[in-house]
Amino acid sequence: MDATSATPPDADGSLSGATERLERPPKRQQQQQQQQQRTNYGTNNADATDGAVLTVPSVVIRESGSRPSRLNAGGNDGGHSSGSGPGPSQHDIEEEQGLKYGAQHVIKLFVPVSLCMLVVVATINSISFYNSTDVYLLYTPFHEQSPEPSVKFWNALANSLILMSVVVVMTILLIVLYKKRCYRVIHGWLILSSFMLLFIFTYLYLEELLRAYNIPMDYPTAVLIMWNFGVAGMMAIHWQGPLRLQQGYLIFVAALMALVFIKYLPEWTAWAVLAAISIWDLIAVLSPRGPLRILVETAQERNEQIFPALIYSSTVIYTYMGTHYTPEETLPTATATATSSPSFSNSTTTTRATQNSLASPEPAAGPSSSSTRPGNTRTNQQRQQDNPSAAEEEAAGFTQEWSANLSDRVARRQIEVQSTQSANGRSNEYRTVTAPDSTQQPEAQEERGIKLGLGDFIFYSVLVGKASSYGDWTTTIACFVAILIGLCLTLLLLAIWRKALPALPISITFGLIFCFATSAVVKPFMENLSAKQVFI
Amino acid sequence: MDISKAPNPRKLQLCRTYFMTGFALLPFVWAINVCWFCEEAFRKPPYPEQAQIKRYVIYSAIGTLVWTIALISWIIIFQTNRAAWGATADYMSFIIPLGSA
Repeated sequence: MDATSATPPDADGSLSGATERLERPPKRQQQQQQQQQRTNYGTNNADATDGAVLTVPSVVIRESGSRPSRLNAGGNDGGHSSGSGPGPSQHDIEEEQGLKYGAQHVIKLFVPVSLCMLVVVATINSISFYNSTDVYLLYTPFHEQSPEPSVKFWNALANSLILMSVVVVMTILLIVLYKKRCYRVIHGWLILSSFMLLFIFTYLYLEELLRAYNIPMDYPTAVLIMWNFGVAGMMAIHWQGPLRLQQGYLIFVAALMALVFIKYLPEWTAWAVLAAISIWDLIAVLSPRGPLRILVETAQERNEQIFPALIYSSTVIYTYMGTHYTPEETLPTATATATSSPSFSNSTTTTRATQNSLASPEPAAGPSSSSTRPGNTRTNQQRQQDNPSAAEEEAAGFTQEWSANLSDRVARRQIEVQSTQSANGRSNEYRTVTAPDSTQQPEAQEERGIKLGLGDFIFYSVLVGKASSYGDWTTTIACFVAILIGLCLTLLLLAIWRKALPALPISITFGLIFCFATSAVVKPFMENLSAKQVFI
Repeated sequence: MDISKAPNPRKLQLCRTYFMTGFALLPFVWAINVCWFCEEAFRKPPYPEQAQIKRYVIYSAIGTLVWTIALISWIIIFQTNRAAWGATADYMSFIIPLGSA
């Protein structure tokens, strides 16, 4: 069965081909694979174009399929690999899921980002409350009252430095708490901040909204609406709720936070903060001792979901029906290794995945892979079904949260590609090697998508909202397009590097360039053109 | 979360929790419950817990409906009588609309 799942489709041939060749089992099997390939191309022709458009996750997913073949070729002979019954269906499922959850996720990320920006821009343009700054945040003591640009400049610089140091301190605090396993403190922190946003800031928003549209309302109704909205939001974000609702709340919360920033940050400071935060993002995610990187590695060491997520994910992250209960797979680094060939385990973060995959042929695997051994897998599954709420609680707690706090926003600011299919491929391979009952395998499919931190939503929206607050639609749309292009490029880099990447730097840089270029060059040019009636 | 992948007892438990939560003046939670479990209750092939889920969904729907009607009628009554009720109504008003010049 695994040979069938090993067929690399032409969509990702360029990327997966190399590893595929390295792991290629004996020649006879290769031929079988090619045969299977042909049949699969026939069946999945319609979807193949889909995969070809966006190779990002399809690469990941397909590669995962290729891994069992290598191990199976080592464990059993080629005869087993192509002959067993459930193979094609399994492969079809993987294929289908790969295409279904692969390409769509990239698009799925565009929709919420656009929605968030839309909410912010609409609010900025319809509610004048968010357009004027009269009260300031505590973190920005310099208010840019002076008319001199130089004074404004150093004010903005000082403000953004203060704000950034707060961010850094909060992030480090978060890392320390996480390292010390103070999950309750972190949870409390997140719940408190989401509570504040969902009740207090939403209350202000509702008031200004009603005032802007001159809609009468009495206090009992307002209180009832706030109570319902807030409690449902807390349930959806921190506990369990429909995915759409949760996504909607996360988008709204991000938009609200962006509005708070636009409202309470002085003019130049907002721009300076945008630039500074994207640089910080770059450092925190990519530098060897960057806090977010430490976070990722710690989470990986502990076999946990990546940190209390503050993350918008395009699908459910929800592991408790999986046959294996190792959230380890959700880590970007782990998946990256799982998808690249295990023989290339030279970085420190790759060791676990490598150990797992190499140890898998023997049932008595090393301690690190104990949770993925079939016996444990089954007990885990049983335990989860007996006591699903605990498992869910954990899964929910680590994925659905978000916060308004600065450090959390930093923590959110990362994109990860998650390929559960690869993870499932791994768990399936244990199963097939040691206990070939593949009836449960379809259940093991989890959904994974590309994740984007809520902080990215917030700062994208701040940029677009700030641009739109000048009342110029050309600039606004230029910013919007620039940010989406930046996001596209980030996703492209994600496909190449396959590790957690900061989503802010490219997008924000593009956005800032486009914004100032448009308002300084394009807009006067257009105005001049229309004044001279060139367009007529 | 994806409700279609949860085991049946879990579905029932969630549905019941949402229904019970709705009693805390939370018709919105009832509405969520109805939307969320509608397919489970009426479209899925039958399973043991389905009858109870169906009952909770129907009750939630009734509750939502009652709340909606009550709220709308209260708003209409209040807004039409606000001027007549005088200072009390003004005191209860969250937003008093401004007249247009």
